[in-house]
Amino acid sequence: MKKSLRLGAVVAAAALASMALASCGSPSNSSAAGVSSIKVVIAEYSKDHTAKFWKAFATKYEKTSGVKLDLQIINWNDLDQQSSTMVQTGNPPDILNENAYASYAADGLLYSADEVLPAATKADIIPAFVKSGTYQGKFYGMPDLSSARALFYNKDLFAAAGIAKAPTTWDEFTADAKKVNALGGGVVGYAQPLGPEEAQAELAIWLFNNGGDFKKNGKWTLNSPENVKTLEFMKGLSVTDKVTQNNPGSTNRTDGAFPLFEQGKAGMIVGFGPLQSALDTQFTSVNYGIAPMPTGDNAAPQTYGVTDYLMSFKKKGNQDAVKAFYKLYYSPDEVNSWIKAEGFLPVTTSGLASFASDPKLKVYLDTLPNIHLTPTDDPEWDKIGQTIKQNIGLAVAPGGDVKKFLDDLQAQAEAGK
Amino acid sequence: MSRALATRRRRPRGTAGIAEALLWLGPALILILGIVVDPAVALVGTSFGTYSITGLRKGDAGFQNYIAFLTSPDLGKVVWNTTVWVGVVVAMTILLSLGLAQFLSKEFFGRRFVRWAVIVPWAAALVISSQLFRLMYDYYHGIINGLLLWLGVIHKPIDWLGNPALIMPSMITVGIFVSMPFTAYLFVAGLNAIPGDLYEAARIDGARPSQIYRRITLPLLRPAILIGVVLNMIYVFNSFPIIWILNGSNPGFGNDTLITYMYKIAFKSAQHDVGMSAAAGIFNVILILIAVAIYLRFTNWRRRDES
Repeated sequence: MKKSLRLGAVVAAAALASMALASCGSPSNSSAAGVSSIKVVIAEYSKDHTAKFWKAFATKYEKTSGVKLDLQIINWNDLDQQSSTMVQTGNPPDILNENAYASYAADGLLYSADEVLPAATKADIIPAFVKSGTYQGKFYGMPDLSSARALFYNKDLFAAAGIAKAPTTWDEFTADAKKVNALGGGVVGYAQPLGPEEAQAELAIWLFNNGGDFKKNGKWTLNSPENVKTLEFMKGLSVTDKVTQNNPGSTNRTDGAFPLFEQGKAGMIVGFGPLQSALDTQFTSVNYGIAPMPTGDNAAPQTYGVTDYLMSFKKKGNQDAVKAFYKLYYSPDEVNSWIKAEGFLPVTTSGLASFASDPKLKVYLDTLPNIHLTPTDDPEWDKIGQTIKQNIGLAVAPGGDVKKFLDDLQAQAEAGK
Repeated sequence: MSRALATRRRRPRGTAGIAEALLWLGPALILILGIVVDPAVALVGTSFGTYSITGLRKGDAGFQNYIAFLTSPDLGKVVWNTTVWVGVVVAMTILLSLGLAQFLSKEFFGRRFVRWAVIVPWAAALVISSQLFRLMYDYYHGIINGLLLWLGVIHKPIDWLGNPALIMPSMITVGIFVSMPFTAYLFVAGLNAIPGDLYEAARIDGARPSQIYRRITLPLLRPAILIGVVLNMIYVFNSFPIIWILNGSNPGFGNDTLITYMYKIAFKSAQHDVGMSAAAGIFNVILILIAVAIYLRFTNWRRRDES
């Protein structure tokens, strides 16, 4: 009797405990009127600014909408894994900040702009970004910020090597890189990051400046003759010209190539806003200049741009809360002050105007409306980008086969259709 | 009187009813169910599903994920890497730890300090140790290249983590470094358990030191060595951070072991497929179980019990 009593107590306690756990686990979002909290997953752009901005944002959001904002800031390296796990376990966030959206849209998980974005806000977003955020005629990928790449060069090294100005053609580029490389003392002509971290960006900027692209007129053109020529040129920089740092195929951008430029050991590098702010605040001894990319086909230089996305997941009752989120995010005070703090570029027309006063950003801002993006509106790109990151380093190694790499990519893209 | 009472009262507890047993085992069972059984079931379930790149389950895959994994072109190289990685790290760890344990069990000035120092690589998180080694191995800024250049041993830095011929040896060195403390301490405990009079008797009978080591020390250390090998096989096989971090900037799958390959299939490759990755996970568990079983059979680990 006593024993069974005790058992009963244990069972009751366990049941209570599990009920308590269950009630913690699921926020009460069953009410038809609307949710009482939303989960917002944000990528960590920098240790200094991301959390600071979003915490203040959450407070404002809660005050204006009355909905609790449950904020999660995740490192870029883990973001993909964590967001995929959330979807896999049937627990997606309400808002997700990622560098890709098309696969989510293709899976039917997202709200389109018609459902959650105020019309005035949509009209304010720069058309190039609306285009890249549009999948099958609907705008799903709302841009959170953008960046543009340009050629950074070390003026002191250029002067020491007797070079008067930044190169405008690929021939000049190679010649200048050779001159800087010949200075010795561990200095390299060009820091070329083709390791698995962000190699698709390095590839894109060179492709675009030789008349190439990943996709043209709706068709994949990964192994087009101009692309093969471009990648051969990129490979030649390390294998035959020997003007790059050691082993570009195994060099990542943030922990390999950037440090070389920041320490004044690289003549040239493809850079963007955050590198510029690092040079202006931490590595002030580097005397650098910024120039448009040199071109291989004598056409006007193309600016390669990147935008990341804030997409929203269809969940019961969260539509109004999501709408309130976008409305607050795209208010000029919020979006522009964050983008400024992180050292990136605006995504709205009103943002362009408010950034125009900064002379350091002029080189980018002028190109922003015509910026050249990767085909993020095609879900297949999400996998193509992964393959480029993972395998390009093998193709540009001394024994690598550039043509085969691009042919395989093309085959992969076409098979995915 | 009181003792008799106590034993009488203790006896029924020895054969407690299932309810009482559950009461005591309950917390452990809940833990096991929650953190071992449930994920394992989920893993099996995942391995039979078709998943979108977003993580959304699209439907059942049957054995498609297993077929895709077992026929992937990189698998052969990855299995070979895993064999070399586990084989060399475990063998070298055991050999070096035997020597280190002998040294640590001797009396000498500063022994306490040395013993503490040996624990450090074990106490440090693997991610931190791996990151430190990555910095030490760095081509341009690493202390190893810096030292070798300064000494004039080499005239050009060595690409420890980028040269395909050197990356595996570089990773193996770190693997041995972090596995040794645990193994050495296991052997120190084993050595301390060997009665001193055995050595005394051997010496009186005129045995040479090498004979004493082979005939007394090694046989009596056998249980400790067996445990050391089995546990290290499992730890080293499952070791993710060393390979993930040291091999982090290399392209392709040429230096991956099964564990990092599994992760790359799920999140860092063209497949980007958690279903196929789950199939790889099941394959890994089965593989390590088979490897351990073969080892135990080969070494006839129950020999002492049976004799």
